[in-house]
Amino acid sequence: MIDTLDPAARLAVPGTRREHPLGSFVMNLPTMPEATDLDRPETDQERAERFEGEALAYLDQLYGAALRMTRNPSDAEDLVQETYAKAYASFHQFTPGTNLKAWLYRILTNTFINTYRKKQRQPQTSGQEVEDWQLARAEAHTSTGLRSAEMEALDRMPHSAVTDAMNALSPDFRLAVYLADVEGFSYKEIAEIMGTPIGTVMSRLNRGRNQLRASLADFAREHGLIGGDRDDA
Amino acid sequence: MMHEFEDCTQVLQHLYEFHDHELTEEEADEIRAHLLACEPCLDHYQVEDAMRLLIRKCCSEEKAPDTLRLRVQATYTRTVVITETD
Repeated sequence: MIDTLDPAARLAVPGTRREHPLGSFVMNLPTMPEATDLDRPETDQERAERFEGEALAYLDQLYGAALRMTRNPSDAEDLVQETYAKAYASFHQFTPGTNLKAWLYRILTNTFINTYRKKQRQPQTSGQEVEDWQLARAEAHTSTGLRSAEMEALDRMPHSAVTDAMNALSPDFRLAVYLADVEGFSYKEIAEIMGTPIGTVMSRLNRGRNQLRASLADFAREHGLIGGDRDDA
Repeated sequence: MMHEFEDCTQVLQHLYEFHDHELTEEEADEIRAHLLACEPCLDHYQVEDAMRLLIRKCCSEEKAPDTLRLRVQATYTRTVVITETD
């Protein structure tokens, strides 16, 4: 996914991108207006502008993901800033036209695992406790027990109930579920972002989703969002 | 891979993958045919659909604070100081 060629080398050989067999060099340069000046490497200024135009668009999304990872706004901000600093430092290695969003999420995930998860001991243990009892439940009945007729309960679900239930998942499950359910990444992309085999992604997704959906269904039941007599809780 | 989804248990086991568009066309067709013919499984499908909407909606509202945007921009923007002469 990460092209290790430096930009000067890549620009000097138009038509090397496999996706474009016709080798139109205009297609190789989607963001460079001065296509006549092919041999000239990108200036710092141009790179900063390209980064601003392409990567900064994901700021809100990355912050949302960081918030789910760290469960704490101040750590989330630091994590996002560090992610962007690293991304900019290696932006010249990023191949234009490939999946920038997945590339940024991979840096975010690596940074989180290497820096923050080591600091945050407690999520692992507290996540584990939740995992055990919910796992037992998830295996007892793989579905939520909700009927489609009761789905309007979900409309009355406070958003904090969803984020709390998400935060209660263990970190690996939470990240897999977030990347799939919120960001809509494919299993293959999640495997690349998390650096794990697809089988591991699927198992984390299955277990994490079962737990999350079970706790949401429980919440709806416990707070009277479901039930024949409606005493609007 | 033929007839992997003969009963409800097997269909439900692969419902997440079906939703995620991670099955082959043939597999997805088998699941679709089953869902059309099986009310309880269709019910599961619809609940899962609603769950996904809810989760996505609740987790995509976060806006990065302006201070963070500025901090990020500072990592790649050179500050130019203009000194007035004259």
